Amino acid sequence: MQSSVIAERHGSEVTGCPVMDHDFSRARELGAYWALANELRESCPHFYNRYEGGGYWVFTRHEAVRDIYKTPQVFSSASITPWEPDPIYRFVPTQVDAPDHIKYRRILNPWFSPKAMEAAAPMMREICRSYIEPLVPKGRCNFIQEFALLFPTAAFLTVIGVPISYTEQFAKWVDEFFGGFGGDPAGAEAMARALSEMRVFWTEQLADRRGKPATDGDLFSYLLNSTFDEKPLDENVLLDMCTVLTLAGLDTTRAELGYMFHHLALNPDDRRRLAEDPAIVPLAVEETLRYYTIIFGDGRKVTQDIEFHGVQLKQGDMVYGLVSGANRDPRHWDRADEFVIDRERNNHFGFASGPHRCLGMHLARREMAIAVQEWLSVIPDFELDSETELMERGGGAMMALDRLPLRWEVGA
Amino acid sequence: MKLQVSESCVGHGRCYTLAPQLLDCDDEGYVTIRGGDPIEVPEDLHELAENVVGSCPESAITLIDD
Repeated sequence: MQSSVIAERHGSEVTGCPVMDHDFSRARELGAYWALANELRESCPHFYNRYEGGGYWVFTRHEAVRDIYKTPQVFSSASITPWEPDPIYRFVPTQVDAPDHIKYRRILNPWFSPKAMEAAAPMMREICRSYIEPLVPKGRCNFIQEFALLFPTAAFLTVIGVPISYTEQFAKWVDEFFGGFGGDPAGAEAMARALSEMRVFWTEQLADRRGKPATDGDLFSYLLNSTFDEKPLDENVLLDMCTVLTLAGLDTTRAELGYMFHHLALNPDDRRRLAEDPAIVPLAVEETLRYYTIIFGDGRKVTQDIEFHGVQLKQGDMVYGLVSGANRDPRHWDRADEFVIDRERNNHFGFASGPHRCLGMHLARREMAIAVQEWLSVIPDFELDSETELMERGGGAMMALDRLPLRWEVGA
Repeated sequence: MKLQVSESCVGHGRCYTLAPQLLDCDDEGYVTIRGGDPIEVPEDLHELAENVVGSCPESAITLIDD
């Protein structure tokens, strides 16, 4: 139901809807962010969230989140973080709008297409096995550090043509970068260092290949030989692209794998079902992306004054589509609050929606499916190995478990 | 029954993953019939086609009854 009162902001005064002061960045106990999203969605369709020095509109339900994604001409990606309306960084093509956005995507799409990922699958499977095999006789592991951070990193590096020996270095950079999102000064320092070390690495890789013909399977040489409006890509754009590919491609898959394996550790029936019927693994992956979405919300910047779902938005306002609320909204979903392992009608927003849908989605879902199939084929039964409560990183970046201790019987 | 995909397809790939009997993708990951003519859905695949419609985050897929 649409409210008949239009919410509006006059300077610091907001009328017509609740005003809140939620901090979405701090670590909470596992599952707390989805519980919060449920609570916010059921208490109001939209509210105004304040932080020190500003605020933004939060839309909590499926219909509005869908419409934000469907209307990129109104909801610009110039900033995707609602508490940073004018960011100093620029992710390419993440923060680029039409008409340039699609030109970048057309360069990158074929590299990460389903056909390209299909071709890379046997290699990914081999890498996956190489990480699982040494774990089997140990009978326990910290799933995040010993598998979920490493396998997607190694698979990604191989897909873009970087030697697999850089895996641990990349895993460290990505961990340090996202460790800095919590706001503590030590974390911020490590984050800045990781970012600059990564840029040095990309700069060197690009320099090695400049002026040479494109080499098969090498993303850098492909990008150096690609054109934008018939001109080579600018050096800064190349670096922005490489950085966002790394940051978006590695941390996210580790996070989704963490939640998926936490679910499997606690749900033996689902585990057995997947082990017996590997064909439904892709459906289980999609359901993981719906039910355990790591995107708490997705920000956009308003390009024009417009009335939207009962709110009078002004040009320059920031909005936050609560993806975690939309993905479990009972107004849209049948059995919304249930993990349905073989759900077929699953149009979740776990990879976002609209023109900016996740570039690496075909890579990510394939990595997840391979991880589950390979793991269950050698470790069909496992359980949680922690006496203390697991915590999740806040939704300021993407939600993620920092550890997931698992144990299983050896030689059973 | 016919199935049609509009220009708003952005290449999520859930339709052709769910129904490879009906749909395929191009080199960028878009469904090949994006923005094109409708295709015929055989009778034994009607239920699957309905699930395909419900799996598209862009609401880009429509079914046309004969």
